[in-house]
Amino acid sequence: MIGRSGGARDRILRRVGAATAARERRPHPGALAGDGPDDVVAAFADRFRRSGGEVVAAGMGWRGGELLRWLRDQVPEVTAVATAPDLPGELRPDLPEVAAREAGAGVSVGWGGVAETGSLILPSTGGRAVQLLPPLHIVWISADRIFARLEHALLSLAADLPAAAGLHSGPSKSADIGRTVVTGVHGPGRCVAFVRGALRSPAATE
Amino acid sequence: MKVTLFVTCLADHYFAQAAADSVRLLRRLGCEVHFPEAQSCCGQPAWNAGRNREARRMAEHTARVLADAEAVVVPSGSCAAMLKKSYPKLAVAGDGSLAELAAHTWELGEFIVHRLGVTELGNGLAGRRVAIHQGCHALRELRLETEPELLLRGAGAEIVPWEAQDECCGFGGLFAVKMGAVSAAMADRKLDTLPAVDWVVSGDGGCILQLDGRARMRRARIPFVHLATALWEGVSSLAASPEREN
Amino acid sequence: MRIEIGDYGARARQVIREDPQVREAVTGATLAFDAKRRRSYDEIDSDAWRRWAEAVKSHALTHLDRYLAEAEARLIENGAVVHWAADAGEARQIVMELAAENGVRRVVKGKSMVTEEIDLNPALEGAGIEIFETDLGEYILQLLDEPPSHILGPAIHRTLEQVRELFAERLETPPDGNPDTLARAARKVLRDAFLSAEMGITGGNFLVAETGTVALIENEGNIRLTTSLPRIHVAIVGIEKLLPRMSDLAGFLQLTSRAATGQPIGCFVSLIQGPAARPGDDGPKEVHVVLVDNGRTDVLAHEHAWEALRCVRCGACLNVCPVYRQTGGHAYGWVYSGPIGSVLDPGLLGLREAMPLPFASSLCGACFDACPVRIPIPELLLEWRREAQEEGLTPWRERAALTTLAQMATRPGLYRLAGRIGSRLGGSALGRALPMLGDWARERALPKPSERSFRELWREGIE
Repeated sequence: MIGRSGGARDRILRRVGAATAARERRPHPGALAGDGPDDVVAAFADRFRRSGGEVVAAGMGWRGGELLRWLRDQVPEVTAVATAPDLPGELRPDLPEVAAREAGAGVSVGWGGVAETGSLILPSTGGRAVQLLPPLHIVWISADRIFARLEHALLSLAADLPAAAGLHSGPSKSADIGRTVVTGVHGPGRCVAFVRGALRSPAATE
Repeated sequence: MKVTLFVTCLADHYFAQAAADSVRLLRRLGCEVHFPEAQSCCGQPAWNAGRNREARRMAEHTARVLADAEAVVVPSGSCAAMLKKSYPKLAVAGDGSLAELAAHTWELGEFIVHRLGVTELGNGLAGRRVAIHQGCHALRELRLETEPELLLRGAGAEIVPWEAQDECCGFGGLFAVKMGAVSAAMADRKLDTLPAVDWVVSGDGGCILQLDGRARMRRARIPFVHLATALWEGVSSLAASPEREN
Repeated sequence: MRIEIGDYGARARQVIREDPQVREAVTGATLAFDAKRRRSYDEIDSDAWRRWAEAVKSHALTHLDRYLAEAEARLIENGAVVHWAADAGEARQIVMELAAENGVRRVVKGKSMVTEEIDLNPALEGAGIEIFETDLGEYILQLLDEPPSHILGPAIHRTLEQVRELFAERLETPPDGNPDTLARAARKVLRDAFLSAEMGITGGNFLVAETGTVALIENEGNIRLTTSLPRIHVAIVGIEKLLPRMSDLAGFLQLTSRAATGQPIGCFVSLIQGPAARPGDDGPKEVHVVLVDNGRTDVLAHEHAWEALRCVRCGACLNVCPVYRQTGGHAYGWVYSGPIGSVLDPGLLGLREAMPLPFASSLCGACFDACPVRIPIPELLLEWRREAQEEGLTPWRERAALTTLAQMATRPGLYRLAGRIGSRLGGSALGRALPMLGDWARERALPKPSERSFRELWREGIE
């Protein structure tokens, strides 16, 4: 499909060129200096929690069975889940599978995490409805996939970009009504990171 | 040290005692004070209105009048910022006099702290609870963030924190008359948050005119005191009434 | 949005006098935003970050043609469709045609200032298309039929009580519903809309040239839903939103979030490269990016104002502005309000159309200290004032007064005489004599001149 421009494209680019022709060209300053946190996993957990997210320290041996136990314990009302198409079978809780719009929880697997911002990175190939529609979103993330800085994470992601990616750094919230914070406005009201591997881990800083 | 006072038109006519207190204070700190009588307005009203031609005329006049000064001291953050920050931008090519004047101009408190190196000013303000209104140009153009507090403490005053102390009073010269309702609402925000104090001190007469004018319209009597008067009170340690103005 | 800037003074007075809760709500909300911003700046070396961000944006803007072409090429490679619109009319036309070709009946929208700027909603509604603003604040305003009053918190001028009444009437919530109950009611309506809309429309915070990435920051998740669920996603993006590289985006996502809400990053960030293509991706089948000029190249060509194009629409300058806090955004009469509006609107609309906004500032300078990309707003305000004076757009009375002041100030004898006359007349008489003091006296008691001028005290000798 060809975009509409009706000559606007060339006109705009010409005007941009003319506008900047006489102006001194400013150099790019290079990368923004800074160090990420030393203990990336702990820093991720701290940031993510401070934004209202929850972190479960899952051992390397945790599988779908441990998740199911957690669900029964924490949210017994959840009787059916939606899972991401790229979720390994062993990480699936043994509960009936339903469409994301009807599920009590969505289970995804994170491409990576970011310590600096307390973010989970979720590629669109993991199914966006699962990431967004259920009131509870559970994300499996491997401790060695947590990057110290956002820049490192995005550069790594850029090597093979999916059509879209979402950075989730806590539950959905809004303070648009009377400046009172409410959660779960549109997206999940609870976002839980299941971090596999030690909470203290070798840093994946690339 | 030889010091030339640039009194500012506002202080000349509305804060004459504060201007005189500046002279007393500087003399007490060992300065020889000069006052070239041909000085007038620094030109800020024209500059802020975008009338550079008029502003330049006034700037060049001021530079001529102050040409022989070694150090120019201004008892107003706003007018000091005009001389120090805006004059160089007004200079026509080849005329270095405005930049030169800017380089040796000081706001009163700035001069005392950074040129004279004085922060101990007696004990005359002991027991006095003082709130500080930080004028915008002193604070954000000259970056005089701590100097007023340092000096007032150095004169014995107790500084009372004021939620809105670094917020604009709404004066802004022409702004106060062009956008009167907004300007007044800005003054109201300052007055509504003012804690109970003995004095409200400001280094800018313009801000005091605005805040005091609004306070009196609201039938409130608030003891606004110019920084020069407050500091003179500190060093002179006299029990004279500070409320000689307003 | 209709342009009603010319009445700024009267509208501001009216809001302050007749709708005092607006001032109260806006002041409270902006103080809270600003306190968070300050705390968040303190956590980083904000000075270094701001200088870096300023440099990246200035670089992008002085190489804009190159980066626009690069972004277009990447987007096309990614399977997105790129459209160009020289003005608001062309931008509307593009979206209208896309809607018509695809039989769109229902549109969900993410909060976007550029869609306000190009008046998109009335055009779509005119074509019988149902629009849902999905940001909670925007949804409230859509029900009220009001334009946004703040870049970030569009409904910050409305109190809980007002939203309660509105929702009770329109969504049948209980009259004493708490924010949770009210938000749940809105969520229900909007969830249905997300699931049934054929098209999602958003703006874009950034467009990365290197990868063709449209980046969007938010907290509610409505933008992620808008860009994920409908079959078609249309992103309407101003041409100044370009960032050269993905590594730049990493800094800007964080700094913009800190400046806007004081968060290390917004709860949700969407990075969109193109339509869903790989297995497992249930996203939109079509992604359209509409690049909009609509006055931006005029701003870019302006010797000084081009720096305002660095703006990332974080709202930090609004939050810190003591002028904005008294009225909120509506008084300013167009989409972009507060300090950034006062320097951007004259560039986008033409100075005559944007008068008197360059004068709606006390030049206190707080905006510059807050701005994450260091736009010299006070200097730009002065620049627009100079142009307004040159073009004769200011009242003659004011011009005459300043000319008189300059004449007096440069003639010492005349200056002293005028000073003496002024003092002798006393405050009230002077008020009658000088019309400007009359304006002063409407809101304040007249100043009291000193009994004797400093000049007189000096001559007598100061002890």
